[in-house]
Amino acid sequence: MSGLKGKRILVVEDEALIAVMVEDMLADFGSIVVGPAATIQAALALAQSEVIDAAILDVNVRGERIDPVAEALFARGVPVLFATGYGEVRLLNGAKAVVIDKPYTKEKLALGLTRGLGVEDPVTPS
Amino acid sequence: MRSPLVRSGDSARPPPFSDMAAPYRENRTTHLETLYRLTDRFYRASDMQSVLRAAMDAITEGLGCAKCSILLFDSGDVIRFVAWRGLSDHFRQALDGHTPWKPGIAEPPPIFISDIIKSDDSEFVKTNICNEGIRSLAFIPITSQGRVIGKFMACYPAPHHYSEASRTLAVTIARQLGFGLERAKIEQARIDSLRDLQDSEQRFRLMAEKAPVMIWMSDAKGNCLHLNEMLRRFWGLDETGVASFNWQSTVHPDDADYVSARMSAVTERRERVSVVARYRNSAGEYRILETLAHPRFSSDGTLMGLTGVNTDVTEREYAVKALRDSEEHFRLVVEAAPSGMVMTDGEGRILMVNALCERLFGYERGELLGRPVEVLVPPDSRGEHPSLRSRHVQARPPHLLTREVMGHHKDGRSIPLEIGVNPIQTWEGLRVIATISDIAERKQAEAQRELLLAELNHRVKNTLSVVQGIAYQTFRHSDRAAREAFEGRLLALARAHDLLTRSHWESTSLRQIAIDTLQIEKPDGQRITAEGPLINLNPHAALTIALALHELFTNALKYGALSQEAGSVDLSWRPEKAAGKLRIEWREHGGRPVRHPTHRGFGSLLLEHTLARDLDGRVELSFEPSGAVCIIEMPLSEQGGPACLG
Repeated sequence: MSGLKGKRILVVEDEALIAVMVEDMLADFGSIVVGPAATIQAALALAQSEVIDAAILDVNVRGERIDPVAEALFARGVPVLFATGYGEVRLLNGAKAVVIDKPYTKEKLALGLTRGLGVEDPVTPS
Repeated sequence: MRSPLVRSGDSARPPPFSDMAAPYRENRTTHLETLYRLTDRFYRASDMQSVLRAAMDAITEGLGCAKCSILLFDSGDVIRFVAWRGLSDHFRQALDGHTPWKPGIAEPPPIFISDIIKSDDSEFVKTNICNEGIRSLAFIPITSQGRVIGKFMACYPAPHHYSEASRTLAVTIARQLGFGLERAKIEQARIDSLRDLQDSEQRFRLMAEKAPVMIWMSDAKGNCLHLNEMLRRFWGLDETGVASFNWQSTVHPDDADYVSARMSAVTERRERVSVVARYRNSAGEYRILETLAHPRFSSDGTLMGLTGVNTDVTEREYAVKALRDSEEHFRLVVEAAPSGMVMTDGEGRILMVNALCERLFGYERGELLGRPVEVLVPPDSRGEHPSLRSRHVQARPPHLLTREVMGHHKDGRSIPLEIGVNPIQTWEGLRVIATISDIAERKQAEAQRELLLAELNHRVKNTLSVVQGIAYQTFRHSDRAAREAFEGRLLALARAHDLLTRSHWESTSLRQIAIDTLQIEKPDGQRITAEGPLINLNPHAALTIALALHELFTNALKYGALSQEAGSVDLSWRPEKAAGKLRIEWREHGGRPVRHPTHRGFGSLLLEHTLARDLDGRVELSFEPSGAVCIIEMPLSEQGGPACLG
């Protein structure tokens, strides 16, 4: 889990139960959770102020598209992992982003994050 | 031999003057009387015979000879007896063709022979003349327009002295005879040509009478002068009824004004006219006649009347009307069609558009007719359109092509359209008919539906994620294997949902479910083979089968064939049409020998009970030495139902 250990991961998720599960998964990787944010506004604030190595973004947060948050992160060069139930996501131009389908397993999340972060050490199930 | 025109001495027809030499007293008064009578008779003469007879009377009377003859050059320039008196056949035959002059020479002098015995003529001629009882004779040339055309002979039985007065008379008679013959010839030619003319007129009259068209002549007031047989038959007339026939009474009342206006145009404007109108025939039936009427004028330009030809065009007019009606129907159908219609020729020029097409593209039809159909194609695909078009119209056999395209509105907008293009071969050449429907609304509805389905999928999967979160917390500190099993099932359900969303919740192929659930396309998925024909499952069956396959798959991974290096799985399905069933077989090979588990887990429950109940099918799960075998049978129908043939 060396690749993700100590990384600061922003989590944006409006469903509390899912957010808790993601926090648990990240904790298992040894990552540090930034957030989780349940609104676009809160997410934006974190995206602009916190030190962030990567972000897991729900595409639709309380009926609003995640785009402003993604743009803020892209502007900072932060790799983004979109988690979506839509099946497919229209990505912003030139964005460095990975998409995983909801629901996802811990393994899938780890794979997505390492790919997004460019870490060459894929996580194996512990 | 040409027969003489006048033969005097025939017993049937005695000459007016005797052949016997009348007491002869030569004096001027007699000569003048002779010439007067001759001139008078020539004046009255209507034919050649009268002229010749009058001339011979003048010769015998004026010159006092009983025998005489008139000879003329024939068409072969041989001089022939044409009239004579007191001359034997033998004499004429002997001397026929003898002449002192060549034909056509100008004004030769007359020859007077007082005594033939003393002349220097040939012995043959002398002998023949003497044998005829002739001693003296005169040859007087007959000229016409200054050229000799023949001669007359005056013969005396004894040597004869020709006085100056008698010589002058002879020459004068000959000259008069030349005029008379000339005049008779002209008169004959006139009579001949008149007869030819009459013959020709008679022939044409006969032709007109018997012609298979209706021919008529009217006077300047429009009264019938002549109707040919066919026209008389049309109106049921005989020839005597023509003059009093009132043809106007047979014109259909609705056409009467038109016909009379057109006919007066012929007389007023003096040009030919064509009139089509209905006339009642002898059977009381109205027929449509096409009349072509020409005005007739006298040499001083007075209108004499009309000559015309009528043709019965009833059938033709009905055919034309039927065609016009069918064209009108076609036009109405096209205009009322619920989709836009465009017709082009083989080169893509617009020949016809309907009202809806005008509305769709925002053009008036006048702006489109004759222009290339590309004007309706958006500029970005306009360039390639002609080649697409010609490829389609040249395709054999010709076929209807349906596709969704963008159209180009006059205001520059692109409009989504569905077009159906059909090339047809007509007697006028290739025509391409396109029907055009505006599918903007449909497109919008489709987009709306896509959006709703995506939203539904999103919510379902979000919910599944929440359920996953709950399970995560529930099992966090207890049974990790149970959590993972649960998570696996949840994900299988989520994948099946994705698949159904992609197929718009209509139906999904069994193969696709197998591929997604068993992750066959992954590099390590090669150990599973999936074979069978195209079978479509409805959403409910698809979800159930996906879960069942997931159970079999995870079981094989944990305990069965896929937990071993050499293990493999064959998944196959086949329709049993006669029984109306679909048979799915899961067969593991090279697995560890397993016994039927005593513990009935969720997997067995799902397979043996839920699947059987949900799908109204039968599930048979057995554990053989080589590995697990699962046979699923479920109803299969041709269409509809949980499973159907693709």
